[in-house]
Amino acid sequence: MVSAGIFLFLEAFGPGIPSQIRAVANDVVAPVLYVLERPVRAVQAGLERLAGAGDIYLENQNLRARNERLRQWRDAALQLGRENDRLRQILKVPKREVPLAATAHVIGVGGGTFERSILVDAGSSDNVRRGFPVMDESGLLGRVIQVGRWSSRVLLVTDLNSRIPVRIERSGALAIAEGQNERFLRLRFLPRDTDVQVGDRIVTSGHGGAFPPNVLVARVSEVEADYIYLEPAGFLGTLDYVRIMAYRAVPDESDVLLSDKEAKPGG
Amino acid sequence: MAKGLSPMVSGGAVGLLPLFTTLFLAIVMLLPIGSGVANVTMPHLVLISVFYWLSSRPLLMPYGACAGVGFVLDLWLGVPLGLNMVLLLSARLFVLTQLKHYKGRNKLVQWAVFAVMALGLYALSWAMMSVVNARIWPIKPLALQWLVTAFSYAPVAFFLGRLRRWAM
Repeated sequence: MVSAGIFLFLEAFGPGIPSQIRAVANDVVAPVLYVLERPVRAVQAGLERLAGAGDIYLENQNLRARNERLRQWRDAALQLGRENDRLRQILKVPKREVPLAATAHVIGVGGGTFERSILVDAGSSDNVRRGFPVMDESGLLGRVIQVGRWSSRVLLVTDLNSRIPVRIERSGALAIAEGQNERFLRLRFLPRDTDVQVGDRIVTSGHGGAFPPNVLVARVSEVEADYIYLEPAGFLGTLDYVRIMAYRAVPDESDVLLSDKEAKPGG
Repeated sequence: MAKGLSPMVSGGAVGLLPLFTTLFLAIVMLLPIGSGVANVTMPHLVLISVFYWLSSRPLLMPYGACAGVGFVLDLWLGVPLGLNMVLLLSARLFVLTQLKHYKGRNKLVQWAVFAVMALGLYALSWAMMSVVNARIWPIKPLALQWLVTAFSYAPVAFFLGRLRRWAM
């Protein structure tokens, strides 16, 4: 009990446990999770298939209509993309695409009720570094907070410790999207009298350098006098594969310390 | 039983069954089951297992084993180190002092005792998280997980009971 108290005291007031120890613990359990997670996914997929069997005809009709709409959108997007590239070339504007560090599989979830994090099966051997943003096909999911050799922990946007500088895409107003340890995020520090509507897209502002600009984070789901709630854009409930982006506008603390030591050999 | 050795070690594989079962359930807690990343709907299987084994075979789940499992669980879950250690050690303290009141009573009483103990431990964990993070921690997710954990006690304890009868 005394040791537990000391650990907690160090977490609260001291340096806490080095993240490398947690990363090693994750590396140890990752292969077991990798093996156990497969039958779990298979059973879940089977149950979903059984549950959805009755709606297949209706779903097919909806998907056909949606496919037609998406085809039109795709043509428009391709045309705009080509036009954008041409204008960038003319104006000599550098490209802003963020390179992909790794595509990883979600093998575990962490935190229980205290934190919102996931474990993925990509680590330093896959060029993943601390602070890298993590996305799925719909939007931002979070950022890497611990990196082991073969696994990493990702802090999700819904975690209480997650704060993302964002802007409302429609109006450009800047704010902070805060995690609540619940399903929804909360929009805070928004200038007074800003026009916000349900359905507005919230994207990263790029301020602070932790995330690249213009990545979809959430959509406004509820606007009240005292608070604005956001629904995360990423499919947080059904995560399978995620993309870890090699974006680091601000150098990692460990890299800075390392380069300082390299710059002063023996000093 | 070898003299001086703890029953957990001297009992061989059977003596280590409670520890290994609890560690296995700790790994299950990490799996992306159900609602995925929210994971609030995942009951605290380790707490259920520790309470069950302490109520039926207290010598096979000593303080060291509780602390060890709590330590590993803290590392795996990514929560402040010491949190689950305190919870599991407090659970052992609770069971050892209260076992005489509910041992041999029907399963409904044991279930109620577990629910009350879990409520106290979740309140303790809420206080610890608020102190460690220097802010008032949200109560709703904790209350939800306490409910899920309390309701899951019966089925999990049933499976652990079958396992105990089969192995011991």
